[in-house]
Amino acid sequence: MSASGAGIFFDGLTGARREVAIDLGPVALRILSAQGTALAEWPYPEIERLSAPAGTLRLGRKGSAVLARLEILDPVLTAHIGDHASGVDFGAVSERNERVRVIAWSLAAVASLVLVGVFGVPLLAARATPFIPLVLERRLGEAFDAQMRSILDRDHVGSRFACGTAEGEAAGNAAFVKLLHRLERGADLPLPLRAIVVRRSEANAMALPGGRIFVFRGLIAKAETPDELAGVMAHEIGHVSHRDGTRAALESAGLSLLFGMLLGDFTGGGAVVVATRMVLQSAYSREVEAAADGYGVTLMSRIGGDPRALGAILARIGGATEPAMKILLDHPETAARVAAINAMAGSSGGQPLLDGAEWAAVKRICSGN
Amino acid sequence: MSVLDPPGSPSSLGITVQSDRLAHFVGPSGDYWRLLIRGNALVAVTLGIYRFWLSTDMRRFLWSNTVIGGESLEYTGRGIELFLGFLIAIAVLLPLYIVFAVIPFLIPGLAERNASGSMLIIVLAFLGQFAIYRARRYRLTRTVFRGVRLHQSGSAWAYAFRSSGWWILIFWTLGLVYPWAEASLERYKMRHTFYGDLPGHFTATGGRLFVRGIVLWLIVVGPMLAALFVAPFFDWSALDAALSKRDIGAGHSKMAGVGVLAGAAVIWAVLAALALYPAFQAMATRWWLSGVRFGDIALTSSLRTGQIYGIWLRFLLGVLVFAIAAALILALVPISWNQLAKGAHLSSGLQLVAAGFALVAYLVIVLAYSTIYQVIVKLSLWRVAVESLEISNFHMVELVKAEGQQSSPFGEGLADALNVGSF
Repeated sequence: MSASGAGIFFDGLTGARREVAIDLGPVALRILSAQGTALAEWPYPEIERLSAPAGTLRLGRKGSAVLARLEILDPVLTAHIGDHASGVDFGAVSERNERVRVIAWSLAAVASLVLVGVFGVPLLAARATPFIPLVLERRLGEAFDAQMRSILDRDHVGSRFACGTAEGEAAGNAAFVKLLHRLERGADLPLPLRAIVVRRSEANAMALPGGRIFVFRGLIAKAETPDELAGVMAHEIGHVSHRDGTRAALESAGLSLLFGMLLGDFTGGGAVVVATRMVLQSAYSREVEAAADGYGVTLMSRIGGDPRALGAILARIGGATEPAMKILLDHPETAARVAAINAMAGSSGGQPLLDGAEWAAVKRICSGN
Repeated sequence: MSVLDPPGSPSSLGITVQSDRLAHFVGPSGDYWRLLIRGNALVAVTLGIYRFWLSTDMRRFLWSNTVIGGESLEYTGRGIELFLGFLIAIAVLLPLYIVFAVIPFLIPGLAERNASGSMLIIVLAFLGQFAIYRARRYRLTRTVFRGVRLHQSGSAWAYAFRSSGWWILIFWTLGLVYPWAEASLERYKMRHTFYGDLPGHFTATGGRLFVRGIVLWLIVVGPMLAALFVAPFFDWSALDAALSKRDIGAGHSKMAGVGVLAGAAVIWAVLAALALYPAFQAMATRWWLSGVRFGDIALTSSLRTGQIYGIWLRFLLGVLVFAIAAALILALVPISWNQLAKGAHLSSGLQLVAAGFALVAYLVIVLAYSTIYQVIVKLSLWRVAVESLEISNFHMVELVKAEGQQSSPFGEGLADALNVGSF
């Protein structure tokens, strides 16, 4: 059976529009001018359907550099072409298959991304950290130090943000340095510690890369014995010894790369990326904190301090510093943490690390305010 | 019907210029809703990877339903091309990001000043302009009309330099030079745009846009300028004294008035800008379309300001309806938000579920807003802009010879990665 009909033809060489006759041969579609001369002959397997408004069938030749187009408005002829040319991809099947593949691979990519995020990034960061030269870590520390100061120094006191330099604070600073040196001697670190007390009222302390430690004045206020302060400092020294600051920076960079860059930013994607990063990073750091607790207990025992003091002060301040969302908790839950510390510590005891006068001086290290 | 002999053809009337309403948009909004809802659902599930295929579908819909002189445009781009373009862009940007991230730690003293971050922003802004030009080239070379494709020559670097220069000027003149910037950039783009062998150009002038836009500009920025202008005439030390004493008595009421005036000027500027934006959009679109030429083929647009206001009002209505619907659905969620916020009685596992739910809800809401915007605003703008066109000398398309090659999708990928992409 041979069918024919009318169509509109663009030869792909000029913009001229031709009304043509279409003849559906056995193996090819023939395009004839009004006078009956053959303009083109398209074998069915080479024909593809192209996008067009509803009611128009637009055909072209697959992979051709010349963009010849044939348009058919007649529904009967369109149906005939469907019958004849089994090779013509009418339902855009190949296109649909491509999309199904894309969706399937995307889902696989999302799954692998999450796995890499949960397991790969912390593993990689932990492996890579020992290879970061200490010189670089110290530079990283300088950068973090400046950044943290600008974030934490809410009252913009500038150089006075660090306690211990003003008049009347010298004795406190001397006692604090004594405590620090005692801890440092026991710690055997690859780089010197640079710890300061800062004017922040929260009961907290933090370790930055490059051996930098910030002890908040609020922590000293809450500490009842020198060993409690030393316990927290020993925990932070654990972070320094494990190079956790550098590792966290690597993890953060890795996650930014993974979720920020590779996924790109589609509408609403930014928030998903940030949320995922926060949850994952809190999860990494919970293990890191437990390890730092272990280090702290060992260090305190080694220098003859009270290894249980860390647990005691944590129990006192713990509840206040926990965020509402447990999945955002970057430290293990306080009760479990204190229990773990006490189990490791065994018996408490030993002499206090500072005498009464020294401890009283440390308590006044920010008094020059 | 043939476009060769439209009513009043040159031979019968003996004149060479003729124009007619030849452009129509025939795409039903319902199809576009379906396309976007389905597409955005897949974007959410694939964490964004499907967006390249979605934007391909959107363009295909817009192009193929735009009918000019009885023939529709055709978009021949493919999702996989955009995806590859994005991967290439990542390969280029990644080293850049890493270099800028590492530099501060290698040069002591740089980190404190945060110079590296500002440098990166400047470099990325410049690259964004480069990407806009290259992405335009991709879209043009994927646009086929009557078996002939469009294409673009010119240098993306040259465009990026021009464009960056103009944006700096726009910033320092509070937008006053914007009309000339637009005209200059559009001239550059159109001068390097071709339909087959038919060269494009742009005839609208910055001066015309300025004359029309200056009223809007004065309404928005005027009060702020006035506030700045009168400021030197006030006794600032008296104001300072008044404020420091926290005593704004009868003698100082005039001084306190300055602060109120300045605040009011800023609030006025924001409100006026919002209220006048549709008017500006209509004016700028009309001006732009009416300047587009391909050889002797000329466009004129009779877009009405009221149409654009209508579109934005429908958008506000759509958003309102969706917000009410979303609020009703969220109210039915079993875990109350209050309880979630406190988090006291929830186990870690349940919190994870709740956080996941919140994240999904957020994503759904954001994507829904984007869908509403795309259909009500973007599609309608496209529709009214197309329908507003008059085209003179359209018969010239018959004589156009095919020219030009497909270009790489790198520009599109870069635009996507830098967030400057558009249609």
